[in-house]
Amino acid sequence: VRSRFALGAFVIGVPLALALLGPLLAGEPGPRAPSFTLGGGHWLGTDFVGRDVWRQVLLGGRSVVLVALAATALAYLVAFPVGLLSALTRRAWLEELLMRPLDVLLAVPSLLMILLVAAVFTPGAVGLTLLVALVNIPDAARLVRAAAAEAASRPAVEALRMQGETWWRTAVGYVGRSLTRTLAADAGVRLTGVLYLVATAAFLGVGVEPDAADWAVMVDRNRTGLFVQPWAVVVPALLIVALTMGANLLVDAGLKTGLKTGPKKGKRT
Amino acid sequence: VSGPRSWIARRLLLGAAQTAAVVLLVFVLTEALPGDAAVALAGDQPDPERIAAIREAMDLDRPAHERLVDWAAGLPHGDFGTSLASGRPVSTYLTDGFGPTLLLAALTVALLVPIGVGLGVLAARHEGGPVDRLVSAVTLGVYAVPEFAFGVLLVTVFALRLGWLPPTAVGYGTDLLAHPAALVLPVLVLLSRPVCSLARLVRAGMIDALASPYAAHARRYGVPGARIRYGHALPNAMAPATQQLARTIDWLLCGVIVVEALYVIPGLGTVLINAVAERDVPVVQGLAVVFGVTTVVLNLGADLVARRLAPRSEAAA
Repeated sequence: VRSRFALGAFVIGVPLALALLGPLLAGEPGPRAPSFTLGGGHWLGTDFVGRDVWRQVLLGGRSVVLVALAATALAYLVAFPVGLLSALTRRAWLEELLMRPLDVLLAVPSLLMILLVAAVFTPGAVGLTLLVALVNIPDAARLVRAAAAEAASRPAVEALRMQGETWWRTAVGYVGRSLTRTLAADAGVRLTGVLYLVATAAFLGVGVEPDAADWAVMVDRNRTGLFVQPWAVVVPALLIVALTMGANLLVDAGLKTGLKTGPKKGKRT
Repeated sequence: VSGPRSWIARRLLLGAAQTAAVVLLVFVLTEALPGDAAVALAGDQPDPERIAAIREAMDLDRPAHERLVDWAAGLPHGDFGTSLASGRPVSTYLTDGFGPTLLLAALTVALLVPIGVGLGVLAARHEGGPVDRLVSAVTLGVYAVPEFAFGVLLVTVFALRLGWLPPTAVGYGTDLLAHPAALVLPVLVLLSRPVCSLARLVRAGMIDALASPYAAHARRYGVPGARIRYGHALPNAMAPATQQLARTIDWLLCGVIVVEALYVIPGLGTVLINAVAERDVPVVQGLAVVFGVTTVVLNLGADLVARRLAPRSEAAA
């Protein structure tokens, strides 16, 4: 397992470092050169509008990583209270009201939902974050509800109730806290899915400017010059592959250690 | 909890509710625009003539609920309205793009099940050995990689460096079956994520099933290994995999859109992306309904099959 951690950390290291530190190192933009050229002081050549590809690579990772992190956090911010409330409420109609609409939302493919909204609005980075969070809420809320329902049926909760503890202490203090491990496991898996979705949406032109410094946009826009200047496509594509692959390897290694050392399993259903 | 018949009835009811919700959601998301929808949709060309034309074409002067009822009533008859951009019926867009997309999806599904199940069984048979570790590492690594990044790298290697395959399907028209070389990379990319997911699930299920008491019992009775593996363990291992099929279907639909954009295949995904770029709302609505209802129906089918394979398991509903 330790070797898996090392492998994951190694694979994700380069793209993550570039995404977080790249914008600090990028410096001022140089003068525009002709499109799709190699050499001429440009280490990786120039892109479709004659910008330096290396500089675009340095700038282009931040948006993917930040949008993915924000969207994952936001999805839980909504899913946690909804799932917890519907698991702990004794009113059947409230549970139905909270969960049924989510069952229905779950049926719509995530990318389709994003494209539908993009057809009418022109979402920016914030809009894309909200959309990606929205399509992740149903599944996350179901997971929270299932785990919380299990925790709420334990004798400890009955004891807390008989002691006359407040609803808040029982719900958040005990049931909420007992979900930490399950949620940590799910958050890792969800983050890799969100990374995929954010990059794919950007490739299809949702939530980004057409000439944005973004790895996915670079792959899309520089494809026309693939036969002349492959670096402008290959380098950002490799970085995205390394980012998603590394994240998945790390999450898997984390899950395995969590399962081995943890007192109880955080099993996904 | 309750009998099989009431479970099926509940599941069918959920499917019907989901279909209705997809239709409603598509309409609300695309027509619930703040302010004047015609002005918003005209976007870059806000001249009064175009705005009037859009208002006329989409009947925007009538109340939204009347338009919803008319539109939804037309759907079962294949009447999806007319395109804002070209004035052609949306149904002609659907029939034009249907062939290539169906071909891609059918090829992918036909290859997905044997490859995914085969890899999973192979890894489970050699649990802990080098074959298992190789299969597990590769399926885990590729599983989360976006299709467009993977696909563009394959194009660079196989079309650009080696020159074995065409980089895109440009120039082949809609009759892709006559040019199988142009289909190799798209199908390979489309398979990448679902195969990994299926292989991992089958591997885990097979390992559990082969370690179970009934498999040990069959072995004691001298039942041949192949029969235990394929007759007894595999159906049990397939049940959790079938339930995860819902996610696989979601991935396939997303994948089709991306792969068609990447390899310039004139299917439904390309039609959808073009319509999104042109803000051609009726075409987007029609395609979204087709994609959404397909997902609902396939999910329903997957749940029914999973229930059949392992009646004890609690499928979603």
